[in-house]
Amino acid sequence: MAVGEAKPVDKGHVKNLLNKKKGKMKLSLFLCAHCGLCAESCPLYRLHNQDPRYMPSYKVINSLGKLYKKINKVDGSLLEEMKELIFKNCVLCGRCYCPLGIDISKMIALARSVCRSQGVCGVYPYSLGAHEEDFPEALSGMGAIEEK
Amino acid sequence: MYDLVRGPLMWVAFAVFIVGFVYRAVQMFIVSKKKEKFFYPVSWAEKQSIGDYSPEEHRLKWLVSFKNSMLGNYPIVTIVTSIFHVCLFVTPIFLLGHNLFLYKAWKIRFLSLPESITDFFTLIFLLCGFFFLLRRIIVPRLRAISTFNDYFLLLITIAPFLTGYFAYHQWFDYKTMLTIHILSGEIMLMAVTFTKLGHIIFFFFNRFHISSEYGLCQGSRTW
Repeated sequence: MAVGEAKPVDKGHVKNLLNKKKGKMKLSLFLCAHCGLCAESCPLYRLHNQDPRYMPSYKVINSLGKLYKKINKVDGSLLEEMKELIFKNCVLCGRCYCPLGIDISKMIALARSVCRSQGVCGVYPYSLGAHEEDFPEALSGMGAIEEK
Repeated sequence: MYDLVRGPLMWVAFAVFIVGFVYRAVQMFIVSKKKEKFFYPVSWAEKQSIGDYSPEEHRLKWLVSFKNSMLGNYPIVTIVTSIFHVCLFVTPIFLLGHNLFLYKAWKIRFLSLPESITDFFTLIFLLCGFFFLLRRIIVPRLRAISTFNDYFLLLITIAPFLTGYFAYHQWFDYKTMLTIHILSGEIMLMAVTFTKLGHIIFFFFNRFHISSEYGLCQGSRTW
């Protein structure tokens, strides 16, 4: 399977994983006021010239938020779409701070678990800003691409 | 219409608010039943006592933590949002007109602020609301996460104050403006528990939920 090609998804398993923490996670998503005040607490956001894609709330809304919105229709392309956000744009350091008291890192961790359960995962060099094609051996080692 | 919004609709708004509040409170109680692992096992008191700092190091430590705080990172937004939220609570509760209505209906007396002060608070609140609208439009990171709901909720929050300001100064038709004012207040009350305005209530409780160093009481449901 080539890099970026969507894998088949076990929808039942994804749904189970999401339903396990549905109450707390949906309440947290509901409470997020989209104020953007969590941005500066993310070291990667500061490092990447305040790129909105590194803002903690952006990462949560576009990963876990989308997963709950499409809980019955989660497919490989959706997981591939959010892969970069939750594996490359977040190192799960837990420094994200929400003035409303939302536990952002726990939410991103759940989105990662869902992706990982379906074989969609990130690779360490991503966090240094590298591209997939720069590290084919690392990707094949993680099972993200098949060796030719 | 005026009698409708002052009578049955007001009771509907209160009922929706109370039912919604109970629903959300029960929901929060249920989701916080299971205590999560606390991955930062150092208490606040321990954090304070770690290290033997000189006065200069203490000052530096304080400066660093201030720079990383909400006020240090976003001084203008923090000040504006604090003023906005104080005005949001203080103005309607201590408004003379509201308290006169309360006295007339239920013979309850509350402390009232002079009308010139509440009028000033309303104006400040509206300016803060306008600031938030501009911020949402201009700041790229906010534009990236803003949806129609965010603009709509800002409108719902500001509408009672704007219409109240118009009614007090008797701009446009007074009775119509007063009707819209009461109606917008009722819409806001009903929206509190079913929209993102829910943070009005859960802002305080949610902090006990977090099982990280930012949480209070080391994790979920210890209040």
